[in-house]
Amino acid sequence: MQINWQLRELNLKIVYYGPASSGKTTNLEQIHRRVDPAHRSELVSLKTYEDRTLFFDFLQLELGKISGLTPKIHLYTVPGQVRYEGMRKLVLRGADGVVFVADSAPARANANIVSWHDMKYHLISNNLSMDHTPIVLQCNKQDLFGALALVEIKYLLQIQDLLSFPAIAMNGEGVLDTLKAITRSVITKVQHQSASA
Amino acid sequence: MKKPNDNVSMEMPSGLSLSPSQDQAINRILNDLMEKCPAQFILLAELSGQLISYHGERGKTDLNALGALVAGDLAASQEIAHITNQYQHAQLIMREGPETTAFISEAGHQMVLYVRIHKEVPIGWARLVIREVSRTLAEVMSMPVEEVEKLNLDLSEEKLNALIDGNLDSIWHE
Repeated sequence: MQINWQLRELNLKIVYYGPASSGKTTNLEQIHRRVDPAHRSELVSLKTYEDRTLFFDFLQLELGKISGLTPKIHLYTVPGQVRYEGMRKLVLRGADGVVFVADSAPARANANIVSWHDMKYHLISNNLSMDHTPIVLQCNKQDLFGALALVEIKYLLQIQDLLSFPAIAMNGEGVLDTLKAITRSVITKVQHQSASA
Repeated sequence: MKKPNDNVSMEMPSGLSLSPSQDQAINRILNDLMEKCPAQFILLAELSGQLISYHGERGKTDLNALGALVAGDLAASQEIAHITNQYQHAQLIMREGPETTAFISEAGHQMVLYVRIHKEVPIGWARLVIREVSRTLAEVMSMPVEEVEKLNLDLSEEKLNALIDGNLDSIWHE
């Protein structure tokens, strides 16, 4: 988080995390496509030749003023492929909130678990507490045949209390709901944190 | 709600909070750097990639994207240094090209500085000035604050949620 009182800006960083091909970049592409261009940056993607995320995707949103401050939301994705573990740690640096994009395909159940624990590890290695970092779960690809239900994915990850949303990011379903939820959680946390400081 | 004024610094429990006086000091330092180096373009970002300030001709450059990439570049270089047991504080990355040279420098523990110079500027001189400025910028962030106020959005959780939802709805097209 960064606050510039001269410019009256509140800058927040939200990271989309999850296993390879779960739909993290698709979420940002949909946000980029559907948000008024006057309120967003261009989408920056650092990709491999195979069109997979190499380092991160980046998109900035600018919201209307809240109590005189303009919130600027910086959205990042991590590369999901196993070999880019080092990159994931770097992208999580300074994160104010995380969206965990789970793949609802039954065959990807284990990949979700591995990625969840990987995220926990990297949050801690960045001095970010799991208990104090807002996290929202998005269960993507709900249109797949035999897709795991939200309750099943939450059970697998042992996170029954986490705020969660079903999604079909490819056609935009659930993308805005997830974005709203994580933005609310992050800004609410900022308010609580500063009130108790 | 009590609003901050130019003489009051803010303190947040985490992250970077720039008071107006710090913001002005940073702009003075970067203005000096533009002239002293001289530089074509300067950008200062927080280590997580959030833009703090820029000076010089931006053209069509997406500054927010540049901030994210500069921070990512420094983070990757730091990590390379860590895994090869070569990590040192105050790292400086240099990219020398036929027309321009770009430097990326740690500015304390919270910021990263990007400076682009023309090929005619001596690299040794630029490196010296950039190192000095990076150190000065870090000092600005550790300046003692005269008075501390809390950020107070002054809204109930319900109202805050409604505002955020309304904000996002208004910029979203189905």
